[in-house]
Amino acid sequence: MSSTSNNTEIEKIENTSSVTDTEKSLSDSISKKFPNVQITYVNPNRIRVNVKREEIIDVASFIRDELNFDHAESVSGVDYPEDNQVEVVYHLGSYTDTSLNKQILALATRTPREDIPHPGNDNTKLPSLHDVFPSVSFHERECFEMLGVYFEGNPDNRRLLLPEDWADIPPLRKDFAIKGR
Amino acid sequence: MVDNIVTSKKSEGLTVIDKINAHNANVFVGKLGDLLYKAVDKPLGMAINWGRLWSLWPVHIETACCSVEFGAASGPRYDVERFGIIEAFGSLRQCDLVVVQGTITRKMAPRLRLVYDQMPEPKYVIAMGACAITGGLYFDSYNVLPGIDGILPVDVYVPGCPPRPETLIQGCMLLQEKIKRMKPR
Repeated sequence: MSSTSNNTEIEKIENTSSVTDTEKSLSDSISKKFPNVQITYVNPNRIRVNVKREEIIDVASFIRDELNFDHAESVSGVDYPEDNQVEVVYHLGSYTDTSLNKQILALATRTPREDIPHPGNDNTKLPSLHDVFPSVSFHERECFEMLGVYFEGNPDNRRLLLPEDWADIPPLRKDFAIKGR
Repeated sequence: MVDNIVTSKKSEGLTVIDKINAHNANVFVGKLGDLLYKAVDKPLGMAINWGRLWSLWPVHIETACCSVEFGAASGPRYDVERFGIIEAFGSLRQCDLVVVQGTITRKMAPRLRLVYDQMPEPKYVIAMGACAITGGLYFDSYNVLPGIDGILPVDVYVPGCPPRPETLIQGCMLLQEKIKRMKPR
């Protein structure tokens, strides 16, 4: 975890020259309200906001209400076995505010990961953003079955794409082994 | 069953007409077929196989891009119908050939087996394309079956990604050659 945060710090310093005023004002208003949040400039027009999982609903509501990011474009999950964590990234965009047309805000949070997962019954849980952005419903459902992250508050956590008789660990975990012939 | 239909006139007051419903008629025709096989197997077994190999009715399992090549093969330029592969089909009950055209996922596998089990004997399987043979590009995917020969007895493998219509036609002719040399039944 410490190594990754160091890397992102270096990126932040390198890219600061190309940061536009819009991005700066966005990140300033977030960090003013939530001092614990870590903000990095990944690419042009893409801000990454790393939050703790306790804060994510507050930060997401603030981004929706004050910064006019009105919908979630995708929810993706990343498995980090060396950190023993699973990261979930919400990509947020805006239809209503024309000055944010090019912006994609990546809202990332992490949750502890267990070596022997029991999806839904172990510690790998996150609060759902279904109440803030209703469009995340299906994405969170897919993330639950592919990475085993249970979203508390999502109204529909049934199986989506995997076979009905799937009894293995979630298939996008790094330690999933292919059966072969 | 044949005896049943003929001799049941006196017993239980049932007439022959009552006994001949759809199910019994099917069983009767099936038994007649058995009788026919026993009578003509030795001298005319070749003829039975000859009939089969010039009227193969395929089921299309169109799960990936190989189905486009199958469509091209049935078009006027290649026209597989001149080789006895009849394109149009009514239902699975009238088919005797499965052409698996593409990737079979682990979720699709029980459905494919169900399709195969619904077809009457004798039945033949062609695995078309790299995906159906070994999993192809997706051989290390968590969800793709590494070859359909784990669930179906494959007669002919047609390699290619996707195979050209000529390759498919060659595969069909290989299957016909195989049927020609099989024992009938």
